[in-house]
Amino acid sequence: MSLKPTAGSNPFLGAKSRIERRETMVRWLLRLCTFFIVAATLGILAHIFIKGAPVVFRSSWPFINTTFLTELPSTLHVIEDVKGHRQEVDVTHVDEVKAALGADFHADTTIAYSGGGILGPIVGTALLVFVSISVALFLGVSCAIYLSEYASKGKRVEMIRLAILNLAGVPSVVFGLFGLGAFVLTAPVLTDLPLERSLLKIPLGFSYLSFQGWDTCVLSGGFTLAFVILPVIITASEQCLQAVPQGFRETSMALGATRWQTIRYSVLPFAMPGILTSSILGIARAAGETAPIMFTAALAFKDKLPWQKDLPPLPADAGLFAQWEQSIGRFLGIFTESVQALPYHIYTIAAKIPQNEYSERAQYGSVFIFLVLVAALAAGSVLLRRHLRAKFRW
Amino acid sequence: MLTSSKITAPPPPVVMVRDMDFAYGGSRALTDINVSFERHRVTALIGPSGCGKSTLLRCINRMNDRVPGARVTKGEILVKGKNVHDDDVDLTQLRKQVGMVFQKSSPFPKSIYENVAYGLRTHGEKTPDILDDAVERALRSAALWEELKDRLKQNALSLSGGQQQRLCIARAIATQPDVLLMDEPCSALDPIATLKIEELIHQLAHDYTVIIVTHNMQQAVRVSDFTGFLHLGKLIEYRPTEEMFTHPREKLTSSYLRGTFS
Repeated sequence: MSLKPTAGSNPFLGAKSRIERRETMVRWLLRLCTFFIVAATLGILAHIFIKGAPVVFRSSWPFINTTFLTELPSTLHVIEDVKGHRQEVDVTHVDEVKAALGADFHADTTIAYSGGGILGPIVGTALLVFVSISVALFLGVSCAIYLSEYASKGKRVEMIRLAILNLAGVPSVVFGLFGLGAFVLTAPVLTDLPLERSLLKIPLGFSYLSFQGWDTCVLSGGFTLAFVILPVIITASEQCLQAVPQGFRETSMALGATRWQTIRYSVLPFAMPGILTSSILGIARAAGETAPIMFTAALAFKDKLPWQKDLPPLPADAGLFAQWEQSIGRFLGIFTESVQALPYHIYTIAAKIPQNEYSERAQYGSVFIFLVLVAALAAGSVLLRRHLRAKFRW
Repeated sequence: MLTSSKITAPPPPVVMVRDMDFAYGGSRALTDINVSFERHRVTALIGPSGCGKSTLLRCINRMNDRVPGARVTKGEILVKGKNVHDDDVDLTQLRKQVGMVFQKSSPFPKSIYENVAYGLRTHGEKTPDILDDAVERALRSAALWEELKDRLKQNALSLSGGQQQRLCIARAIATQPDVLLMDEPCSALDPIATLKIEELIHQLAHDYTVIIVTHNMQQAVRVSDFTGFLHLGKLIEYRPTEEMFTHPREKLTSSYLRGTFS
C-alpha cells in the first residue's frame, strides 16, 4: 500500500491488507464455531422443552401432570374399536373399557413402560445421587486434604495425582464392571447365613462378616458412581484448598494450632464454597451415568418403591420397640433395594421397546424431568455456595 | 516470674542462639549465629534482602519446619533454657510461648473476637468468661479495645490496614507468650499506622521480649534497644542500638548504615 495520499482520493479507502483480511477470517471462524455450539445446545433444550413440557404440564389446575410424577411406570394399553377410534387406557381400566365397548371392541395394543408415571426412576436416581455424592465428597475431600496439606511434595504425590487423572479417563462401563465385581459380588456384609459363593467368611461369634457382596442395590450403585465422580471432586477440591491463602495456614500454625486444627478452622471453611461448586459437576455426572448402574443398581422395571418392600407383618401385640425396629429396618432397607433410575429408564423406553406415537410421551417426559432435576440440583448447589461464600470470604 | 532478689541482676536472656548453622536443602542460609535476646527488650534484626534475618526469626518458633528440606545443621536454639529441637518439644506449646506477627497482616475472615480468641481456642479453652477476658486484655494491650469494643462481632477484614496489623498483634499476644516475633510488621502500612505500631511495640516491651525484623533502619533506631546486623547469613554485629548506629565497629556495618557497600 502506498503511503502517499493521492489528490482527490480518500486516504482511508485503501484495500485492506492480506494480514488484516486473514485476521477477520480467523475471528469469524472462531465466532461461528462458538455460535454453532450455542445453537446446538439451545436446539436440544428447545426440542426437549417443546416435546416434553406438554407431557408434564397441564393447561388446567394443578397445571402439572401429577400422574406422571407420582405413579410408577406401567404398561400402556391402546384400545381400538371397530370404527377405528383409539383410546389410551391405563392398565387398571382395561377390562372396564373393554366391557363398555362390548361388541365394538376391535384390538388392544400394549406398549411396555409407557403408561403411568416415572416416580420409580426419579426416586431411584435421587437415592443413587445422594449415596454417591456423600461417599465421593467424604473420600474425595479427605484425599484432597491429604494431597494438598499433608503429603510432602515429590515424585510419589505426582504419581498419585497422575493416577487420579487417569481414573477420570476410564470408560464408565469399566466402572460398572468394577462395581459389579467389587460391590455387588465381594463387598463385606454382616450376616448369620453366609452364601456358598462368599469369598471369605470371618466368624465374629454372634454373626459372620462375609465377603459376598451387597447384591444389586442402591448402595452398590452409589459407591460405583462415587468412583466415577471421584477424580473430578479430588482435583477440584485440591485446587480450592490451594486457593486458600498460605498466610492463613502460617498464621494459624504460628498461633500454636496443629495441622488438623489449621485445616479444620482456617482452610476448609474457606475452601468449602469451591468444593461444593465442583460437586455440582459430580452430581450432574452421577445422575446422568447409565453404564455404571446397569450392573450394580438399576432395573428396567420394578413395581415397588424402595421402601415398599414386603416385610413379615408384625404380630398384633407387637410393642413400640418392635414397630420402631421395623421402621428403622424399612429405612435402611431403602439402600439395599435395587431401583429404577432415570437414565436407565430413558434408555429402556427409547431403545428397548417398539417405537410408535404412543411411546413418545414417556420418552420426552422422562428426559424433560431429568433435565429439570439436574438443573434444580445445580441451582441448589449454586445457592448454597453463594450463601457460604458470603459467610466465608476473604 | 522473676523473684525480687533477681531483679537487680541482669535478667537472663529468654532466647539464645548458639553456633547455629541453617540450610535450605543444600544451600546454607545462616552460618555460625551466636546471639542472645534479652528479656523485655526490643531487638531489631536489620540487613539487606536475603541476608537471612527472617530465616533467623522463623528458626526461633520453628516455622521453617514447614519448608521442605529446611533444617538447622549445627548448634542450638534455646527458648527459656529449653532447646527447641529437643525430641520432647511440642510445637504447639512452643508456639504458644513464642508468638509471631507476619509482614502481610492476615486476619482470618472471621469476626474480630474470633480472631483474637483463635489461639486460645486451639489450646482447648472453651469457657466464655475466660475467652472474653483474654480477648479484652489482648485488645487493650494492642491499643484496640476503645476503638473496637462495640464491634467485636464484625468481620476483621472490615478494619483498616493498620488496625488489622494491630489485631494480628493482639491475636499473637492473646495466648500470653514470652517472646513476640515480628517479621517486618510495618512494611505494608502507611506512616501514621506505622507510628502507632511502633508506639505499641514500646508498650509491649514491658511485658514481652520482642524481636523485630525490619528493612527500615530509622524504625530500628526508633523501636529497638538492641540491633543485630546480618549480611550473607552471618551476624556481623550485635550491640545496643545507640552504639551500633553512632559508632559501628565493623566496616561492613558502617557502610550498610551509610547506604554504601564498598
